[in-house]
Amino acid sequence: MNALLEQFLSESRDFLQGIGEKLMQLESDPESIPLMTELFRFVHTLKGNSGLFDFPEMTRVLHASEDLMDAVRHGRVSYSQDLTDQLLDAMDFVGILMDEIETTGRIGNSHAANSVELTKSLRELLAAASTESEAHAPTPQGISDIDHPSVDQVLEEFAAVEIDYVDDTVASFGEPAFELDEAVAMALYRHAIGGDRVFWVEYIPEPECFFKGEDPFYLSRQVPAVLWHHSVLQKNIPTLSEMDVYSSQLIFQLLTIATQDELDDIFRYVPDQIQRIEIPALAFVAFSGSEHDDTVDDEFITRTLGFIHDGNLERASHSIRTMLELSAPELWSSSLLRWAQLIIELEPDNALIQCALINQLRTHEPLDLMSLVDQNSSKSIAVDDSHLPEVSLPHEHDEPDALNSDASHTDAALMASFYVVLNAQKNVLSVPASPWLAGRMKSVATTLIATYRATHQEEAIEDIEQALQEALAGNTSQPLLVWIDKALDNAPAISDIQDAAPIEVPVEQSPPEVPVATEEVTQDPSSKFGRRVEDTSPHFGRRAEDTNTMVSKTLKVDQEKIDRLMNLIGEMVVAKNALPYLANRAETVFGVRDLSREIKAQYAVINRVAEEMQDTIMQVRMMPVSFIFQRFPRMVRDISRKLGKEVELVLEGESTEADKNIIEALSDPLIHIVRNSLDHGLESPDVRVAAGKNATGKLLIRATQESDRVLIEIIDDGRGINPNVIKQKAYEKGLIDESALERLSDEEAVNLVFAAGFSTAEVISDLSGRGVGMDVVRSAVERINGTVGIESEVGKGTRLYLSLPLSMAVTNVMIIESNEQIFGVPMDMVVETVRVPRAQLSSIKQKQTTVLRGRIVPLLSLNELLALPQEQVPNEDDEFATLVVRVHGEHVGIVVDDFRETVDIILKPMSGILGGLGGFSGAALLGDGSVLMVLNPRELI
Amino acid sequence: MAIEYKKSLAVFTEFVGVEEAENLLQWLLKNPKGKINLAACEHIHAANLQVLMAIKPQVAAWPADEDLHRWLAVLEK
Repeated sequence: MNALLEQFLSESRDFLQGIGEKLMQLESDPESIPLMTELFRFVHTLKGNSGLFDFPEMTRVLHASEDLMDAVRHGRVSYSQDLTDQLLDAMDFVGILMDEIETTGRIGNSHAANSVELTKSLRELLAAASTESEAHAPTPQGISDIDHPSVDQVLEEFAAVEIDYVDDTVASFGEPAFELDEAVAMALYRHAIGGDRVFWVEYIPEPECFFKGEDPFYLSRQVPAVLWHHSVLQKNIPTLSEMDVYSSQLIFQLLTIATQDELDDIFRYVPDQIQRIEIPALAFVAFSGSEHDDTVDDEFITRTLGFIHDGNLERASHSIRTMLELSAPELWSSSLLRWAQLIIELEPDNALIQCALINQLRTHEPLDLMSLVDQNSSKSIAVDDSHLPEVSLPHEHDEPDALNSDASHTDAALMASFYVVLNAQKNVLSVPASPWLAGRMKSVATTLIATYRATHQEEAIEDIEQALQEALAGNTSQPLLVWIDKALDNAPAISDIQDAAPIEVPVEQSPPEVPVATEEVTQDPSSKFGRRVEDTSPHFGRRAEDTNTMVSKTLKVDQEKIDRLMNLIGEMVVAKNALPYLANRAETVFGVRDLSREIKAQYAVINRVAEEMQDTIMQVRMMPVSFIFQRFPRMVRDISRKLGKEVELVLEGESTEADKNIIEALSDPLIHIVRNSLDHGLESPDVRVAAGKNATGKLLIRATQESDRVLIEIIDDGRGINPNVIKQKAYEKGLIDESALERLSDEEAVNLVFAAGFSTAEVISDLSGRGVGMDVVRSAVERINGTVGIESEVGKGTRLYLSLPLSMAVTNVMIIESNEQIFGVPMDMVVETVRVPRAQLSSIKQKQTTVLRGRIVPLLSLNELLALPQEQVPNEDDEFATLVVRVHGEHVGIVVDDFRETVDIILKPMSGILGGLGGFSGAALLGDGSVLMVLNPRELI
Repeated sequence: MAIEYKKSLAVFTEFVGVEEAENLLQWLLKNPKGKINLAACEHIHAANLQVLMAIKPQVAAWPADEDLHRWLAVLEK
C-alpha cells in the first residue's frame, strides 16, 4: 500500500468520524448553518480525496451524499431523520469499503451493486425533496440577478442536471434483441448448453460521458469472449449539422460468455449504465433462409417425428442428414434441419423441442421456442399437439391410461388439454414485444385453428383468422389475446376439468400472469442491479459500537513502536533497580564503602532520568476517554430509536486521560453498560410521564481523575434496580442461597447483577438480556485492575461506576516478607502499613481484629491465606507487621512478617499452568535477578 | 493528427481521440462523398464512432485490426 493511500485511509476515518459527529449534532440543532457547512465540507473533501484513487464505488456514494448535503445546506431539502439515516448508512458503507481497501488493497466487485443502490436512494431523497419544494414553493430564481449567477445557483443547476440524467438512463434499457448468423447462434447455443453462461450486455453510456474522460467504445471492446456485438445510435439525429458529437447517443450490445465478475470489473465505473441479462440456450435457435419453393416431404416429417418419439435419435439424425444433402443449404428448411440436428446432438432428451422443430417444417411458421421452454418447464402439452394426430407427443404417451381407459375421462382430458393449449398460446402472446412478434402471432393462430379443428369446432376458425389479420395489421397481439380471453371465459371452471380428468395438467401453474421465461430472465439483472422497486434498501450493519479501528488511528506513530519503547523503558527500570543491590554488595561483600556511595549517587541520577522517561512514554500512551465516548452519541441514538425511547446523553470529562490499553479495554464494558442502561434502566416516554418524570430520559457518562485512577460513572435517571427483585432472581437462578436472601444488604443485592449468569430481562432482545453482559463487564474491568460497582434507587435511577488505574505498564508494588519468602502487593491496594502490638489484637467470633483510628479492621494472616503452616513472626517489640489493604471498598489488615521497600516492576501475568493460579496477579523480575510473586489480595481474601 | 484529411479521403491512423470528433463531423458534412480509410486505425473514440454511425460514409479501407473491423461492420451499407 502506498503512502498516499495510507494517508487517505487514516484521514478518511477522521472525516467519517467527524461526519458522524456532525450529523448527531445536526439532529439536535437542525437549523445550524455552520454545522451544515462544515458537514458539507467534510463530505466534499472526502469525495475529492477518494477521487484520487481508483475507487468508483466509494466516490459515487460520496458524490451523491455531497449533492444531498449541498441541497440541505441551501435549504432545498429539509433536514430529517430519514436523511440522517441515509447519510449514516452511506458513511457506514464507505467505512466498510475502507476496511476492505485496508486489508485487500482494493474494493471487491460485489460492492458495485450496493453502491449504485445507495447512490440511488440518496438521489431519490434529493429528487423527491426538490420536486416537493418546487411544487410548494417555487424558487425565486427569476428574481435574482441573472447576469451574475451566484455560485450557489450554478451548483443548484448542476445538481438538477444530474437528477435528470439518473432518471433518463434508468428507463431506457430495452429487451434483448439480436439477429445472429446461424453459425454464431449455434456457437452461442453450444456454449449455453455446455454450461457457459451467456450474457446479454446492453451498455447505454450516459450522454455526458465524453466529458468525464470515458470512452464507451473502448470499454465495450475490453469485454472478453464476445461472440456477438452490435452498436447502434439511440435515436435518429434530426439534422446532422445540429448533431452534438459530444453527447453520447450510442448503445452497445454484446453477447458474451465472459463471467459475471469480469463484466462487473470492466463496467465498475458505470454499473448504472449497463444491463446484463443471462440468455438461455434456446433463445438462440432461429432459422433463416429463403422460403421460396421450400416444401419438405410430409412423409419425411412423419417418419422423423416417429423416430424421435421412439427415442431412436440416431435414425432421426440420419434421416435429417439425408434430407439436408438433398435440399439446398440456403433454404429456410435446411437451416431448421441443421438446428434440429444440433439439438438432437446436444439435447438428446429434449424430445418436445425436437418434435416442435420438425413439426414446423409442416406449419412453416416461425415458432418462438422460448414459449416452448416455458411450457416444457411447466410440463404442459406441446403447442402443435393437434397437428400430429398420428404421432403422439411425449405427454400423451405418458398418460395413455387416462386417455383410453375411460371414455368420459378421455373427453374431459381432451377438453383440459384444449384449454391448456389456449392458456399456453395466451402466454406466448403475453411475452413482451420482440422481433418475433409477427411470427409468434402467426404461430399462435395456426395452433388455435388446428386445435379447434381437432376438437370439431370448425366454426371458430374464421374468427381466429380475422383476429390474426387484425393483429398483424396493427402489429400488436391484442386482438388475438382478446379472442383467447373470450374463449377461455367460455371454459368450464378449470378445477372441474381437473376433477374430471386425473391428468397432470397444472393449469394453475401457468396462468396468464405467470411470467414466461424471457420475463424471468429480464428480471434477473434488475435484482442484480438493484433496480427492483422492493424496499430492500441496504443497511450496513456497522454501528458505532462495532468499530474498534478508530482508536488506533489517532496515534500517528505506529503503536508497535510505542510498545517497544515502553518495553525497553520497563527493562531499563528493572536494570536500574539492580544498582542498589550492587551498592550493597560493594559495601558488604567487597568492603568498599566509597564505591558503594558513588554507585548510589549514580543510581540517583539514572533513577531520575528513568522515571522521567517512564513518565514521558506514559504521556505518549495516554489517550483521552473521548475516544470511547465519541461513539456513544451515535450508539445511544440508534438504540434509543430502536427501542422507541427518548434519551438525552450528557458526556462529561471527555478530556480525562488514561493509558491506551486501559481505554481500549474499557470500550467493550462501557458499551455493555450503556446498552443495559438504555434497555433496562430508562423507561419508555409514556411510562416516564406516568411516573411524573420528564419524558426524555437522561444518561450521564462522566469521567474524572482521582489521584492515580480514572473514575467513570454511568448515571441514568431510569427506573432503578429493585434489590428484592434481584435477590429473588439470583435465588431462582441458584446464585445465592436462602440465608443470603435474608442477609444481603440492598447494596450488595444490587451488585449481584455482576454475578455470572445473571439477567433480569424477561425477553432476550438483541440488545441485552442474555445474562452475560454485566458479568463480562466485571471480568473485563478486573482484568485491567479496575473495579466496578453499582448503586441504585428504585424509581430514581442507577449509578454505575468503574474505577481504573491510569496506567498498567509499570506497577508500583510493596515487597513484604512472610515465612522467609518475599511477595509483592500492588501499592494501589495498600492503604497503610502499621505495626500492631499483640496487646491490641482482639478476637471477635474467633476472628482476629484490631481497632485502627476508631475503626474495626479484621486481620488475616498471610501464611494462613497462602496455606502455610507457620505462625506470623512479630518483631522484637512483639508487634505484628500489618498491611492494611482496600478490598471491595473495605479495609482489611493482612498480617505479614516484615515490610521491605517498594519497587517499580513490570508485572507479567502468569501464563500456562500457573495462569490458573488464583491469588496471584503475576510475577516480576527484580533487580538482583530473583522472581517476585505479586499477590492479588482481592482474590486471596 | 490522428486523421489526415485529403481531398475526398480521411485517413485514420492509430488512436483517434475524442477531440477529432467535431472536425470529422464538419469534414463529412462538407464532403458528403468523402471516404474514410481506416486501414492503419487501431481504435477510434466513441465520439468518432457515433459520427461515423450517424453519417455512414463510404469506407475505402477497413481496419487491419480485426476486432475493430468487426465492431465497425455497422458502417457497411
